[in-house]
Amino acid sequence: MMMKLTLTGIMIALTLAAPLGARADRDDFNAVVKAIEQFYHVKHQNVPLLARAGVKAVRTAAKIRGGQYKRIAEAGSVRVAFFEDQTFDSHGNMAAFKASIQNTLVANWSALVQTLAPKEEEQTFIYVRDANEKFHVLVITIERHEATVVQATISPQVLADLVRDPNGVGKTITDEATISDP
Amino acid sequence: MKTLFRASFELMLVVALLIAAGITASAQSAKLQLDQLDALANRASETVDVKLDERLMQTTAKFFAGKDPDDAEIRDLIKNVKGIYVKSFTFEKENQYAPADIESVLSQLRSGGWNKIIGVTSKKDGDNVDVYLMNVGDQISGLTVVSIEPKEVTIVNIVGPIDLEKLSQLEGSFGVPYLNLPPSKPKSDK
Repeated sequence: MMMKLTLTGIMIALTLAAPLGARADRDDFNAVVKAIEQFYHVKHQNVPLLARAGVKAVRTAAKIRGGQYKRIAEAGSVRVAFFEDQTFDSHGNMAAFKASIQNTLVANWSALVQTLAPKEEEQTFIYVRDANEKFHVLVITIERHEATVVQATISPQVLADLVRDPNGVGKTITDEATISDP
Repeated sequence: MKTLFRASFELMLVVALLIAAGITASAQSAKLQLDQLDALANRASETVDVKLDERLMQTTAKFFAGKDPDDAEIRDLIKNVKGIYVKSFTFEKENQYAPADIESVLSQLRSGGWNKIIGVTSKKDGDNVDVYLMNVGDQISGLTVVSIEPKEVTIVNIVGPIDLEKLSQLEGSFGVPYLNLPPSKPKSDK
């Protein structure tokens, strides 16, 4: 009887644990999006179809040039939130927004690079965390009238490139996720 | 007899823990507390904040293990580096920050085992570059560069064994900015 109860308890715990992990991943991304919306009083748009079309367009363009397209993010791993044609004004308190993002992500993510340019209302935050054999990267880019939040899974090789050139590879991850098909 | 053995074992355990704590404390103190500088971000026209912790450095070092000579050079540079931490603030005008704003960092460098090995001052530009090393025995356990200019302050804190020559090769990558470091003395042939 005890054994049956124990096994049942373990089964229930395992059943709950997997979706909880996935929910935590979704929650961090959504928590960041919400933090941006609340601080700046803006609203995001989700354009997953555009992101997928954009990757295909980049791949096609590379083939036309005679080169090979080298994907940065793992296929199917990219999540994107856009904020377009909205006003991002930190009212001289960009440090508070930075702290808000840090507090949102501190439990599960490691900050890699953060750059702030308050006069231009430009900010970039790059965070990473372990994902078994791979890594999750979260890139937040904010400018005066638009912003993007990109989460993607990357290989250890790409992580090494990211660590070596955080701003360059971070921008590439964002561009790959957000490029549109002309 | 049992009591004596147990007491000796417990004493050895305590000593081992104290030694471990001492080693840990030494390793930890090479990492400076820099987050309190974030308050400068609101006054700065540009802020750069880089944190490459030990885990990231170890993961990165593995992927420069190929036969490519460039990879080997990078691997040699970051081998055993346990962390790279950078805070850089650029201001539009002079006097938008005060020495007191960075005193919390300078006080850590005046105590806690850091030695200033280089201090360069330019009276013309008002630029100051100071380089500090931390040693544990004859091993370098940390290096910090404090660059103070009228419109910019940059602090680069590297945890682990690294020298000035390697640091100058790291400039421009791994989040390390160009620091205008004084050139290393050429090695004399004996």
